[in-house]
Amino acid sequence: MKISLNWVGEFVDLDDQDPAQVAELLSLHTAEVEGLEVFGDNLREVVVGEVVECGRHPQADKLSVTRVAFGAGETVQVVCGAPNVRQGLKVAFAPVGTVLPGGLKLKKAKLRGELSMGMICSAQELELSEDHQGILELQPEAKVGQPLIEHLALADPVLELDNKSLTHRPDLWGHYGFARELAAILQRPLKPLPVLADWPEAQSEIPIHLLDPEGCPLYLGLPVELGGRPSPSPEWLQRRLLAVGQRPLSDIVDLTNFVLLELGQPTHAFDLDRLSGPEIQVRAAEEGEVLTTLDGQPRSLQAQDLVIADGSGGVALAGVMGGGETEVGDSTERILLESAVFHPVRIRRTSKRLALRTEASSRFEKSLDPALAEQALQRFAYLLAKVRPQARLMAAPAKTGQAAAPQRRLQLEPAKTSALLGLPLQAEEMLRPLQALGFQTEAKDESRQAYWVEVPSWRATKDVTLDIDLVEEVGRLAGYHRIEAVPLRAPVEAPWKDPVRNLARRLCDRMAGTHHGFESQAYSFLDQRWAKRLNLPLEAFARLQNPVQEGVDLVRRDPIPSLLEQVPANLLENERGLLFECAKGYQPGNGPLPEERIWFGAVAWSPKSKTEDGPESMFGRMRSLTEDLLRCAPLDDWQVQTGLPSKQDALQAPWAHPSQSLCWHSSPKTKDAGRILAVSAMLDPQLREELSLENVAVGLFLLDLAALTQLCEGRLPRFESPARFPAIKVDVALALPVTVAYDQVEKALREAGGKLLEDLRLFDIFQGASLGEGIRSLAFHATLRSASKTLSEKDEQKFLKRVEAAAQRLGGNLRSC
Amino acid sequence: MRERLEELRREALAIVAEAGEEARLREVEVRFLGRNGEITGLLRQLGSLPADQRPAAGREANLVKAALQEALDQRRDQLQQASLARELRGEGFDPTLPGPPPPAGALHPLSQVQRRLEDLFSSMGFLVADGPEVEWESYNFDALNIPPDHPAREAQDTIFVRAPQATAEASAAAESDGKADGVVLRSHTSTVQIRALKKHGPPLRVVAPGRVFRQEAQDATHEHTFHQMEGLVVDRGVGVAHMLHAMNSLLEGLFGRKLETRLRPGFFPFVEPGFELDARCPFCDSGCRVCKGSTWIELMPGGLVHPNVLEACDVDPEVYSGYAFGLGLSRVVMLSYGIDDIRWLLSGDLRFLRQFPS
Ligand SMILES: [Zn+2]
Repeated sequence: MKISLNWVGEFVDLDDQDPAQVAELLSLHTAEVEGLEVFGDNLREVVVGEVVECGRHPQADKLSVTRVAFGAGETVQVVCGAPNVRQGLKVAFAPVGTVLPGGLKLKKAKLRGELSMGMICSAQELELSEDHQGILELQPEAKVGQPLIEHLALADPVLELDNKSLTHRPDLWGHYGFARELAAILQRPLKPLPVLADWPEAQSEIPIHLLDPEGCPLYLGLPVELGGRPSPSPEWLQRRLLAVGQRPLSDIVDLTNFVLLELGQPTHAFDLDRLSGPEIQVRAAEEGEVLTTLDGQPRSLQAQDLVIADGSGGVALAGVMGGGETEVGDSTERILLESAVFHPVRIRRTSKRLALRTEASSRFEKSLDPALAEQALQRFAYLLAKVRPQARLMAAPAKTGQAAAPQRRLQLEPAKTSALLGLPLQAEEMLRPLQALGFQTEAKDESRQAYWVEVPSWRATKDVTLDIDLVEEVGRLAGYHRIEAVPLRAPVEAPWKDPVRNLARRLCDRMAGTHHGFESQAYSFLDQRWAKRLNLPLEAFARLQNPVQEGVDLVRRDPIPSLLEQVPANLLENERGLLFECAKGYQPGNGPLPEERIWFGAVAWSPKSKTEDGPESMFGRMRSLTEDLLRCAPLDDWQVQTGLPSKQDALQAPWAHPSQSLCWHSSPKTKDAGRILAVSAMLDPQLREELSLENVAVGLFLLDLAALTQLCEGRLPRFESPARFPAIKVDVALALPVTVAYDQVEKALREAGGKLLEDLRLFDIFQGASLGEGIRSLAFHATLRSASKTLSEKDEQKFLKRVEAAAQRLGGNLRSC
Repeated sequence: MRERLEELRREALAIVAEAGEEARLREVEVRFLGRNGEITGLLRQLGSLPADQRPAAGREANLVKAALQEALDQRRDQLQQASLARELRGEGFDPTLPGPPPPAGALHPLSQVQRRLEDLFSSMGFLVADGPEVEWESYNFDALNIPPDHPAREAQDTIFVRAPQATAEASAAAESDGKADGVVLRSHTSTVQIRALKKHGPPLRVVAPGRVFRQEAQDATHEHTFHQMEGLVVDRGVGVAHMLHAMNSLLEGLFGRKLETRLRPGFFPFVEPGFELDARCPFCDSGCRVCKGSTWIELMPGGLVHPNVLEACDVDPEVYSGYAFGLGLSRVVMLSYGIDDIRWLLSGDLRFLRQFPS
């Protein structure tokens, strides 16, 4: 909203105030001022000129060739097309080089062969009014060479306020409210608003029927005879409107706008002779009723909308916009001026639904002071007498219905207020500014420990309703910027720490630090297509009612799909990568609130390797990452199974490759035996294709953080004393049929090693013609150690023999290493 | 034999004298003095000499052997000295060559900033809480003194979650009783105020970082998903000065130095009075793009917890008071690192994530 300081200055003395200072004061005490511009500043270069010579253009009938004096040296020749240009006239002159408000920069020009060194401007070209009939005629005594803004006293500092910061202040939707505010801040008197003192004796007899008293509890209709057709407003009025960005139209319409911008109360002028009856009905719209607003749009209404109707039908969308048929026009001779109280929420709903936000609707929705309804008419009548002396009030307004702001008497306790604010203020320092804002105060008793404070009607509708609201008033007027920070005194106590967050943090550190992964954040929403991709019904997801993007209405169950969505874009520049995220997932639960789970998920990609399994493969990497994170939990024991989780498991992995996946469950020895902890897997082949990830190996894992926390909370890794005797390292390679799975081989080797086998590590997988069809070689580093003696070569031989036997049992043999 | 010995001696010493590297010396050692070396071979032949010649020949052979050994040692020493001198002079070493690229990995910048603040508040006795991202509509609004007709509540800002099929009927029934509670994606972390107060009760000091959601089209400065951090303190005698202290501490932790701050009015339904905290722009002295030339930047809204909010959490506002503030984590991360487009934050783009080593 724009606030003109010249306008505000009519009610509170601002003459000695720098506009920037005023802006700062309002920001510190009232609401944020977002900008300060000086209206008229764009006319800086336009000066008062005098037409010293004026003659016909030799080549064009409608053009004149003039010489203009403008204070700077010689006179210049200017070609002018206006009919009213004449010798001796004082004009607004823009010399060559001037940038006009529209952005046009004047250059030396030749018009039909005649040189023109500038422009004599019309009011419209200067954006001072809509008048483009001819050039602007200045008073004869205007001083040649004086800047036009000075001559017209145009310069007006205009503040831009953020409307959002005013939503709770119904009193600040007009200039007078800001004057009141500044009077209190500057501790200066506030001049009363001049209004018509007495209505005519006769009461208007135009009937007003309030058929929806909730929607419109109070309605005033003032009949006015214009005494001629509407004409342009006087310059001072036009300029007020222009300064705050409002286009002047005709005096009657301009006056209603003026009152709205000054008091914050919207009014509406109907052409009385076009009102059928004439009568006014304020009623709820009929469902489906169509009303054409004055912007020419037919509006389809609903039952909660509020309509102003005359004897034959709807004539205005109450509180939002008038209708075209009864609009004030060039031929209007009599008007009915409406000023009313409308239900704020219903006005907002209507204007919102129709996407029709107007100056009126944005004010009515703020719960305006009902007293403004009559004041606005009184102010209008007062101004009308000045602007249009020929006009006549036909009668006192018909006032139908009743509405008043609630009477509120609140309590102010200075000591408590001071303590809450951290501002050492005396009672007097609190009461004075409150009184300046129109609050009435009275000591509650002789002790003066507390005061009764009566809220003025313009603050009582919804803004100031509780004692604490007075603390705000006192604080902001004193100045919050004066508050000094004080540390809170509280017992020294270690705060509770959420174990799930702790675990998440450690695992993130481990992934980023040890495994060189990048922590990501992915969106919580998924495209509906993911349901099909994951082979899940839509019902398996919590779904959005009003998604930001059409069709992207699923809430993710776990982070894997949204992490996968981040892979394709990365592939362009990164042939490998590892992203992880600790995230919440949701799925429909028993009640309306979906069930929440906390996950730790990761996605890795790399060029496809020659072997799809084995320690170096993507699958193997996911396995060892999962194992490492479980160890960090810390966990030292678990069960691993191949394949997908079972239906009963509390972790489902619809994105996992059905055969290239592992499920990790808690060990049978733990308290929560058999509970699923994690899944590590390659990407499901169908998804791989859907996401165009066929050419890379994509691995995934997902950990259930809550399950892990429950299992591991408070646990620490157990230290084992390193053995005192040296170890023997033996490499063995077994040639076995490919049908023998690794875990069988490992099991056999562990049996062969018995207690002496400290460590067993697969280091090579080989398959080739030299081995024969269907045979692969698995090579291991084995570490043998005894806790009680140094092992000898005999022990090594014994081990090798047992390995050989094991290899034969498995249908293969021990290869020499 | 003598001549042969002399021949070998001369030949060996000549090679040693010319040897330019230690490997050559080792060759000489093996060739002449090794197990099958030529001088060793001669010594082995001593037995075939007449007995009277043996001692002299033996002595001589040993002398030759010793001389050769000494020459070898000397030369080796020389060569080692020379090589050390070369190394010290830096010959053959290019210290300007690059190292291999280090394996990288990092926490998300949001996490890094969030952790810094969590740790700071934790050290001041605040607990770090968490709340659901999918939340009761009543916690997101009503309990925070945002009644049903409040503009902030309208669908334009808030993302609603559909009632699941099974409970749709039940909630329709509840709605007719006027007891309906919808489900939304929380639009602010202020919901944690309600959750934490209901769970822990006063006195309470808590910060709650997390994601929030708004029905908003994306562009460089707008996101439908972003991060906030809420702070809440409820105790006896808590006032604005305490809030200001916590906010100042937060900014100091964030920017690494004390910033001048000021409070001014701000309006939020769940606090009264409400504030905006401005800080002197940490990026300039006399106005820049970030502060739009004003040298102040608006950083944090806050206020005293509205009595209606305390009551909604069964806390007696006559006994307790509190403050709450909210920090736009995403915005602060962008400010801190100079990130020009908010959409980077949730892009998962490695070109972005790589720039914040942790
Ligand atoms: Zn700056």
